[in-house]
Amino acid sequence: MTQELVLEMRGIRKEFPGVVANDGVDLDVRRGEVHALLGENGAGKSTLMNILYGLYRHDAGEILLNGRPVEFASARDAIQAGIGMVHQHFMLIPVMTVAENIVLGVEPRNRLLLDERTAERRVRELSERFALAVDPAALVGEITVGQEQRVEILKALYRGADILILDEPTAVLTPQEARELFAIIRSLQADGKSIIFISHKLNEVLEIADRITVLRRGKKIETVPSSGATEASLARAMVGREVLLQVEKAPAQPGDVLLSVGDLHVRDERGIPKVRGVSFDVRAGEIVGIAGVDGNGQTELIEAITGLRKIESGSITVAGRELREASARAMLDAGVGHIPEDRQRRGLVLEFSIAENIALHDYAKPPNAKWGWLFPARLVARAAGLIREFDVRGGGPLTRAGGLSGGNQQKVVVAREISRDPRVLIAAQPTRGLDVGAIEYLHRRIIMERDQGRAVLLVSLELEEILSLSDRILVIYEGEIAGEHTGEVSEQQIGLEMLGGRERPAA
Amino acid sequence: MTTDGSGPPETPEEAAASGTVAARFALKQRAGGLVVPVLTALIAFLIGGLVVAATGHNPLLAYRDIFNGAGLNWIFHPTTNIASTSAYNLSQTLLQTTTLILCGLAVAFAFRCGMFNIGGQGQYLIGLYVANWLGYDFARMSPVPHILIAIGGATIAGAAWAGIAGFLKATVGAHEVISTIMLNWIAIWMGEWLFGDGGPLQNAANKAVPISNDVAASAQLPAFWGVQQLQALDVGFFVAIAALIVFWLILNRTTLGYEVRAVGFSPEAAAYGGISVRKNLIRAMAISGAFAGLAGALDMLGYLYHFGVSDIPVSSVGFLGIAVALLGRNTAAGTALGALLFGALLFGTTHGLSSNVIQPELAGNLTYMIQGLVVLFVGADVLILYIWNTRRKLRPRAKQATT
Amino acid sequence: MTGTAARFDNPVSARLRNPATSGYTGLALGAVAAFLGIPPVQTRTVTWPVVVGVVAVVFGIWTVTRGRRRLGFGAVATGLAGIGLGILATRSGIGNLNAVFNPSLIAQTFAFSTPLVFGAIAGMFSERSGVVNIGLEGMMLMGAFWGVYGADKGGTWVVGLLVGMGAGGLLALVYAYFAIHLRADQIVGGTAVNFLALGITGYFFFQLYNGNYVSQGVSTIPNVRIPWIADLHFLGPAIGDLNLMVWLSFVLVVASYIVVFKTPIGLRIRACGEHPRAADTVGINVYAVRYGAVVLSGLLAAAGGVYLSDGFGGGTFTDNMTEGRGFIALAAMIFGNWRPAGAFAAAVLFGFSSAVALRLQVYSASASTLFNVLPYVLTLIAVAGVIGRTVPPAADGKPYSKQ
Repeated sequence: MTQELVLEMRGIRKEFPGVVANDGVDLDVRRGEVHALLGENGAGKSTLMNILYGLYRHDAGEILLNGRPVEFASARDAIQAGIGMVHQHFMLIPVMTVAENIVLGVEPRNRLLLDERTAERRVRELSERFALAVDPAALVGEITVGQEQRVEILKALYRGADILILDEPTAVLTPQEARELFAIIRSLQADGKSIIFISHKLNEVLEIADRITVLRRGKKIETVPSSGATEASLARAMVGREVLLQVEKAPAQPGDVLLSVGDLHVRDERGIPKVRGVSFDVRAGEIVGIAGVDGNGQTELIEAITGLRKIESGSITVAGRELREASARAMLDAGVGHIPEDRQRRGLVLEFSIAENIALHDYAKPPNAKWGWLFPARLVARAAGLIREFDVRGGGPLTRAGGLSGGNQQKVVVAREISRDPRVLIAAQPTRGLDVGAIEYLHRRIIMERDQGRAVLLVSLELEEILSLSDRILVIYEGEIAGEHTGEVSEQQIGLEMLGGRERPAA
Repeated sequence: MTTDGSGPPETPEEAAASGTVAARFALKQRAGGLVVPVLTALIAFLIGGLVVAATGHNPLLAYRDIFNGAGLNWIFHPTTNIASTSAYNLSQTLLQTTTLILCGLAVAFAFRCGMFNIGGQGQYLIGLYVANWLGYDFARMSPVPHILIAIGGATIAGAAWAGIAGFLKATVGAHEVISTIMLNWIAIWMGEWLFGDGGPLQNAANKAVPISNDVAASAQLPAFWGVQQLQALDVGFFVAIAALIVFWLILNRTTLGYEVRAVGFSPEAAAYGGISVRKNLIRAMAISGAFAGLAGALDMLGYLYHFGVSDIPVSSVGFLGIAVALLGRNTAAGTALGALLFGALLFGTTHGLSSNVIQPELAGNLTYMIQGLVVLFVGADVLILYIWNTRRKLRPRAKQATT
Repeated sequence: MTGTAARFDNPVSARLRNPATSGYTGLALGAVAAFLGIPPVQTRTVTWPVVVGVVAVVFGIWTVTRGRRRLGFGAVATGLAGIGLGILATRSGIGNLNAVFNPSLIAQTFAFSTPLVFGAIAGMFSERSGVVNIGLEGMMLMGAFWGVYGADKGGTWVVGLLVGMGAGGLLALVYAYFAIHLRADQIVGGTAVNFLALGITGYFFFQLYNGNYVSQGVSTIPNVRIPWIADLHFLGPAIGDLNLMVWLSFVLVVASYIVVFKTPIGLRIRACGEHPRAADTVGINVYAVRYGAVVLSGLLAAAGGVYLSDGFGGGTFTDNMTEGRGFIALAAMIFGNWRPAGAFAAAVLFGFSSAVALRLQVYSASASTLFNVLPYVLTLIAVAGVIGRTVPPAADGKPYSKQ
């Protein structure tokens, strides 16, 4: 790493209707540096990078590349200036090959035709040079997530990127895959590339970055060398106060088994077995956490338990009663409450009012309705009470749910589920995308419900959340339970089990 | 991108109740719901007028003639005497409005369940066919049961025809737009076969013409305004008004409507709420088809009485229903107004035009153009709101600070 | 190059073991079975159609077991249809058969399929870029009217073709502005385009030609006679003397295949239709690509329309001349799974069915109707997924917004 600056962003401001996403942000990046951009969700990291990549236009400020001011009207301009970006959600086309995805936009030509052979050869050369193993001829829809990420990195390198933006690159990876990614980053660094590493994970940032810039609510807080930073100091800069890293809770007092899953098998919509022989119990008054990398069957498992997906074989028993071929309605009636992982698509009808959303499970039952006739006034009255009880802010019973903030939307969901007094409460990624205040509220609420004697099944991709809330932890890997823990357990141990207890061979 | 705790109240009910600045602003936004359709119609008429002017006709006179031809000048000297030209014209406009209300509801109901029913025309035709068949058979019946059977049969047939598209959507995910387009054409060709040479519903008396039998007198709907021989406004008009009320009640006051709207806004959330999405897709499509089938029945039993192969390609009320529903924003009241507008255009352009102003053939095509423009602009309310908002640019932008 | 070497080892069986080959062989044999009973072969025993048909079915079943379900079931269906039609043909009178099935049926099939090919390929370009084009019918209709107008006023069919295509392209440009720029619902926008075209062509047809115009020496698109084919016994009357546009439709299929699947621009068009944001992030201007694809779609659909009026129609136009051909083209595109060769095959099948319908009209009106309605029924079955699911581009119909 040299002191030579390749990139300077000065006083960047970007306003969206009703919100200032970036407010006078400065950022400078040196040649061969890994520069982490740290901040909570919504702190303005992605906006800043989208401006750098030419996807958004900034309202004020300037960008200097190698000392010269630049103006990017589109991604094409940024790419030509040597900037590459790996988005959090991969920008790949599943029905096309790896090579086609990589050369898209800068295709090698043979007169007017696409020169596929040259494309594949160049991709192969690049992947060998940076040890990014992928098959250029494979269809992107058929490779693993880790490989997809490599394709994204190759895409940027193919375009001659000198500055590589990685947007939350480890979010979809296992700890072991993340190690491989870090090795790739080091080799890129050695080649003189500069890397901007966006993350909200403190430990990762401290490990990989040379310098760290912290953003909070659209403003730059500080830029520090990682050698002088600690998790606590960074956390303070990120949220503006000390974070409660540990959730306070009394020891669990498990009672009867309320949810019992026996040898469950479930397939996804493409017919691929996703849950393969899972068995576990959840007792009254305990929180069972399910840890695992995204896509290992968690979604299908929850959907099966809540009656949203057909099971292939096995049993689901709620409060001693086995439910066969149960519909979502039957599961609701049996006493299963469900905080779904995607509240905007599943948990709420955004166009409905809060009152209508609160009635989502019970709209057809008295007092809400009789003989198929609906009584809107009663929906409103019930909602008004729950809005007070659960401290939903930003509107009344007739407010459109889509107009609420994420935290308040989640409160509406939680209010609805808990007010039905379920025996079993399933919380799937209950705090995803929420701010710290809302997260704390939800964590306390979940523990409160446990102490009320509900059986809580918590599924989360955030290992920290699982570790701090659960009384018992199950690790799911490729649709099977790969480990179970009750007492103290290290993050490393669980991380290993999330891979089925063995190193995944480098693909 | 909303910040915590600042979600503005967005329903008119609440806005009216609270009366804050933000609430009144929200009310205005909602009022965009009225501005957009009105502006849309105005722009469509304006562009249509430009075409008329460019081809050497006076658009103002043309629109005046259409207005009078539709009998809308009746409001200046209202009378129930059907001998008055304006009263007669109005009765005919309302006859068209009857059909268009139901065809509009056929589009609107499916829309509220998140589907685009482009097949209103096919469902309407099926309703016509079945009403003709049942209205011609059972000729010895007494009027009330005969009418009920004919209307009921046609309505169910329309529901079943649309139900095919709903069923395909619910079971194999076939896009309802494609399947309803195909069903339209199948219905059209079915008519050619039914009434064509040697077809099962062809006129029994005269095998030389491809035309259906006449509906028996016992199945003809009683007229209430006008003389039946001169094509009177029949009681079907009240059926259509009742359908509007039923439409509103189903959607807003029943659990069925709650389910339909939930599925329309978010199928995933509906399923999570314990609502069967499949059942609702089929049911909503069938109810849509029932409205269109009912339209066919009322037309057949109300004033057409017979139908021929040559009438099939000319008929387009089912397609007009799309413009009606979209202009009316898929609400009951909006559909009623949209139906009146297009009913007036439909009848006003065929009738009472002085040929030195504009020929009826031109005016008829003007209707298609306006229909196309309306649908085009309704789909793009961004543009309409932009035009509406440019008005505000004249004012100082002080209000910006409040956000 | 190793592949070719392997194939030479055992050329026939190795190729047949490829499920694609066996599937297409089955399809071909099924068609042959149907043709055995009709001229020029005209076997009079049921044996041959049955034997060949059964072989086709066997090929189909085998293909299904190898995983190509759609193709396999297609071959099975063709085989069964071939047996049925073959038996039917052997039982019909020879005279009638000769009148319906003669070499000119092939020429007529292509005459009917050509507008469909242009329309289907047009739709494919638009939808491959991510814009659903329900408005093909309208764009085709614009081509039909303005093409004949151009040929009339410009004095030559070349001008007609250019004017017609220009009119279709212009309408497509308007649609593109609403669908891409204003992000209007594409189904709604396409529906509007159809109404608009109906109104515009009808209006100007009456304004300029008083609504009844038969060609008097209007320059029409010429036939191209290929001497060495034209003199052959069977092929001569079949394909020896076809309209220029028919030949161009063949060229179009090959060219569009190369453009879509073998060129950088094709890769970009497909990227915009599959994942526009991915395309955007690598610097492809999604709006520009979609504008281009939609306007190209309008040009091609209109070219099909010009052929309809100034080629096939001999320089005449009638109100609503396309009569749903745009929708059959849309169906052919879906049936052909958004691929040029598939769309062409479907268009030829649908063209054949129309040609047969026309010829059967004299003998049996109901059989004629059956063939007329066949394209719609087949498409309905296809979208229902009975013979394997059709898969549209992933982002088809979804407006793209940059932020």
